[in-house]
Amino acid sequence: MATRFGLQKWFPDFFDRFGAFTVFDLLVDYIKSGRIQVDKTKITGRIAYHDPCNYGRKSEELFGHGFFDEPRWVLDQCVSDWVDLNPNRANQYCCGGGGGTLLTPYKNERLTYGLKKIQQIRRSGAGMIVLPCHSCHSQIRTLLAENGMTEIAVKYLWELVADILVID
Amino acid sequence: MLNFQENKLTQTIKDKAPLRPIESIPDLCLSCGTCSAGCPITGISGFDPRKIVRMVLEGSDQELIDSPLPWLCTMCGKCEHACPMGINIVNIIRTARGMVDRDKVPGMIHKGVELDLETGNNLGLPAEDFKFIIEDVAGELAETPGFEDFQVPFDKQGANLLHTLHNKLVNTQNEDLVHWWKIFYKAKEDWTIPSVNWEGVNWGLFSGDDDAMKVFVGRIVDHMERLEIKNLMYPE
Ligand code: SF4
Ligand code: SF4
Repeated sequence: MATRFGLQKWFPDFFDRFGAFTVFDLLVDYIKSGRIQVDKTKITGRIAYHDPCNYGRKSEELFGHGFFDEPRWVLDQCVSDWVDLNPNRANQYCCGGGGGTLLTPYKNERLTYGLKKIQQIRRSGAGMIVLPCHSCHSQIRTLLAENGMTEIAVKYLWELVADILVID
Repeated sequence: MLNFQENKLTQTIKDKAPLRPIESIPDLCLSCGTCSAGCPITGISGFDPRKIVRMVLEGSDQELIDSPLPWLCTMCGKCEHACPMGINIVNIIRTARGMVDRDKVPGMIHKGVELDLETGNNLGLPAEDFKFIIEDVAGELAETPGFEDFQVPFDKQGANLLHTLHNKLVNTQNEDLVHWWKIFYKAKEDWTIPSVNWEGVNWGLFSGDDDAMKVFVGRIVDHMERLEIKNLMYPE
C-alpha cells in the first residue's frame, strides 16, 4: 500500500509505463487461468479470514477499491469451511500491529489493542486464521501466544495456496 | 450471543452517506466521540482520537508531538471511516509523527529507515549475506519433490514480474520465503528479485518521513527501468 500510494503521489507516469499487481490479482489470475491448481480436499478444519486494514478500508479510501472479495474468492477455491470474523470488511478491527506499532516499545498497549481480535477469533471457532499481511501475521501470532491459544495456526493467504498446490 | 445481520455490517458508511466529505480540517470536529468509540485503544495509556483532534484544534500540537500518543495509533482508519465530518485523523497522526525529532522516534522505525537509506534494506544486511540466505533457502526448495531445479532469478533483464521481500522473511522468518516461490514455480512465472535495494516495506510511511518514503518508492521505479521489467508485484 505504501508503494502504491507513493507511486501515485510521486511517480504517476509509472502506471503508463508498467503494470502493477497486488497479491490478490496474482492469486486470482493464476487460479482462474489454470496456471496453478489447488487441492481443496487437503484442508479439513475451519479457517477464519482476517481483513487487514491496508488492503481493505485503507485501500478503499486511498485507491477507491478495497480488496474484500478477492481473498474471499481465493478462500472459496481452497477450503470448504471458512468463516468471517465479525465485524469484517470495511468495519473490521485492526489486529493492533499496524502503523509501525510492532516496531515501537509499546508492547502492552499493542497487546491490549489486540484483545478485540482475540475475542473475534475465539467466537469464530476456527482452528486456523488466514490473512494476507506481514504485520497482521506477526501481531496475531504474538496475540495467540500471549493468550494461550497456540493451537490456532496463522497462515498467509499465499501460504495456504502454496501448501495445497497440485504437484504433478 | 448477538446475531448481527451480515449485510448490515458489510455495508459501508460511505455507501450510506455518499455526500459525506472524504477529508476535512479538524475545525469541523463536532466532538461527538464516534472516533473514540470505534478505536480499540481508546482509554489505554491516555489515548483517545477525539482528544487528539482537540489538541490540534487548541493549538497543543507540540504537546501531541512530544507525547507517545501518535505512536500508539495503528493508523487503522476505523475512526475516520466512521467520523461524520470526514476528518482525516490518520493524517493528523502521521503528520505529528513526522514532526518528532528523528532521534526521538521510538523503537526501530527510524533506525530501519536510516539503515534502508544507507544499505538498501531495513536490516543493514550486506549484499553477499542476502544472496547467501536466499540461495540457501532456494537450494532446500530445489530438493523438495515437485520443485526440482528451483532457482531464484536475481536481476533478470526483461522479466515479467518484479518481486521484493519483506525484511523479516530474510531475517528471522526464512521459512516464509518459499510460499510465493512455490507458486511462481508452478505458474511458470517469469519473475525476478533485485540483488540490491531489495527491501519491500517502506517504513517512511510509519515514521511520517515523506523524503525517505519517496527514495524507497523511487528504487522500485529504478529496478523496473534498469531491468526493463513489465509488471510490479506490490510488496504489501
Ligand atoms: S468522529 Fe469526527 S467529528 Fe466526531 S469527535 Fe471524532 S473527529 Fe470529531
Ligand atoms: S487509526 Fe488510530 S486513532 Fe483511529 S481507530 Fe485506528 S488506532 Fe484508533
